[in-house]
Amino acid sequence: MSEALSLPTAPVDPPTPTPARRSLATIASGLANASVWTRLGLALGAYAVCLGLFSLVVWSQGANPTGVITTIFNSALVDNGSIDQILLRAVPIVLAALAVSVPARAGLVNVGGEGGLIIGAIAATGTALYIVGPGVSSVVALPLMALAGIAAGALWSAIAAVLRVFVNANEAVTTLLLNFIANDILLYLLYQPWKAPGGTGQPQSKPLSANTTLPHIFGNTLNLGVIIALVAALGVYLLLTRTSWGFALRVVGGNQRAASRAGLPVKRLMISSMAVGGGLAGLGGMLYLAGTQLQLLPGGTATFGYIAFLAAFLGRHNPLGVTLAALLFSAIAISAPGLQLNYGLDGNVVDILLALAVAAPLAISASRKKAF
Amino acid sequence: MNGIEQTLISGVEGGTIILYPALGELIGERAGIVNLGTEGCMLAGALAAYAAAATTGSAWVGVLAGMAAGGLVSLVHAWMVVKRKADQLASGLVLWFLVIGLTSVLGASFVSSIVTPLPIVRVPLLGSIPWLGDILFDHDPLVYASYVLVGAVWWMLYRTRAGLVLRASGERPEVVAVAGRRPDRVQIAAVTIGGTLAGIGGAQLSVGYVDSWFDNMTNGYGFIAVAVVLFAVWRPLLVLAGSYLFGIALAAASVLQAHNVAINQYLLDALPYLVTLVALVAFARRGGARTPEGLARALNNTS
Repeated sequence: MSEALSLPTAPVDPPTPTPARRSLATIASGLANASVWTRLGLALGAYAVCLGLFSLVVWSQGANPTGVITTIFNSALVDNGSIDQILLRAVPIVLAALAVSVPARAGLVNVGGEGGLIIGAIAATGTALYIVGPGVSSVVALPLMALAGIAAGALWSAIAAVLRVFVNANEAVTTLLLNFIANDILLYLLYQPWKAPGGTGQPQSKPLSANTTLPHIFGNTLNLGVIIALVAALGVYLLLTRTSWGFALRVVGGNQRAASRAGLPVKRLMISSMAVGGGLAGLGGMLYLAGTQLQLLPGGTATFGYIAFLAAFLGRHNPLGVTLAALLFSAIAISAPGLQLNYGLDGNVVDILLALAVAAPLAISASRKKAF
Repeated sequence: MNGIEQTLISGVEGGTIILYPALGELIGERAGIVNLGTEGCMLAGALAAYAAAATTGSAWVGVLAGMAAGGLVSLVHAWMVVKRKADQLASGLVLWFLVIGLTSVLGASFVSSIVTPLPIVRVPLLGSIPWLGDILFDHDPLVYASYVLVGAVWWMLYRTRAGLVLRASGERPEVVAVAGRRPDRVQIAAVTIGGTLAGIGGAQLSVGYVDSWFDNMTNGYGFIAVAVVLFAVWRPLLVLAGSYLFGIALAAASVLQAHNVAINQYLLDALPYLVTLVALVAFARRGGARTPEGLARALNNTS
């Protein structure tokens, strides 16, 4: 408690929590510029350490670290067509990251982005293949699929919120367990009832018919999903900053007891924030299915949900920051095939870089109070 | 041997995979720190154990390597959350993700290696008890060590001064500091011991239970271990029961498959997670007032 009292109100990062250094940092916070420089120095230092660690891993596998980092940089920014790939890959990551950030406002830790993406994709596939059929106009079919994805994702995530509110089951743990269950449901559907007949060993659903896939925009690689994801990010930003619901969530996240004394429906707010998050993830699953995959595949979401969780933390749960972080992570993620091809590295090597990118700010986060 | 006995036998074997990390997580949570990176500690332990066993030819060197790997990962977590005050849930998940990447890269060359697994040793005398002997006393030695460990953890927590300081660090670290101890050091030690035990769980998985290494082989078991601690309301004996409940769910799935029961394999695979979730729903409510105060602050995201 005494520690909390001695903290300066500005979000300063003392280099180490020893008393002498802390008082130095307190002095530094008085000089606004000094604290900015300290923070910048710490951040640069932390990222340098991370790049060093990554290089070490790469080097231990017999690959040239500078070559690998250049390849990642090139595939993210320079290579032809890579911008398109980044944007397409970012669609599910942005939406699943927003799914983390909305409940985070209410103080909930939603690690269920992965499950939300999977359940959304399942609901959209079911709607496309078994309800809509090939004869219906896409103006009707696509919104129906999107609604199915949103509703399924919202209900799925709401399970964890209901368990938190009524039986006090920690939502970080329940959302993680639900992810594994969602994946098993996906595999069950793909290996049995929805398995495309005459397929090879790889289980997959029938491909979506043309009326149930997203239309292309700006040429023939990008699709409507990119626009929808950006609109959703903007929508979430407005929802959180310009509506009373968004304000109420922040109050609940800041001090639950005060919120309930002030007459806010805390339980309903917590559940609704989780449902909105789940709906966003479900939409992400539907957009990735109908825009990029075009049929339901096992492991189709390929840990996007977890990458999104990291992006949400890097973006400090601010919708615009989260979107930028998701784009950055998408850019890093698409370099995996190149690294596999040119250096013989396992594609998951990019996960190391993504984790380190988030570990760096966490490691320098000493005594920072929550941003909201 | 009938199906039920078979389920119980491999339930104990599989439950041990969860029991070690769950006991470790219990120690950490009693000190006020939750480690979702338990999954990462297990995964690192599983690979380190397998790699060391494949290289040296001894599964026991593997177990030691697994302990070291799990301890190392949890030490990073402890440093981040205790010294750097990072968000506990986020730090654990970030480390898990880091370990997924690291183990896929470093483990790629061990996918096709072969190890001599931990030996199955039937306990003399106890092992000849009918039925019960087969279920409890015909396993690898790590299983027997876990029986002792449950008692040791209980004794340490409730009957020693170290246990008192540990529990106090999880409730009111300020009080421990006023009493002239260093709660931060207690917490770091507790989390690191916890990760070391999670590493043994990973070793039991890779060189004791399935005898192979593949990407992401812990498959969420570390998260289940965290859930077990929550619904066992931080009691060592209930952690034992919860771990075997999971082990039986895991074993039931494979026994039913082996008996060609006409249920889809993937629905059965969901069984352990579902059982854990149901147990959490049934028992989590009881946790409320018994949650270590420091832990409650971390779990409920309030400060």
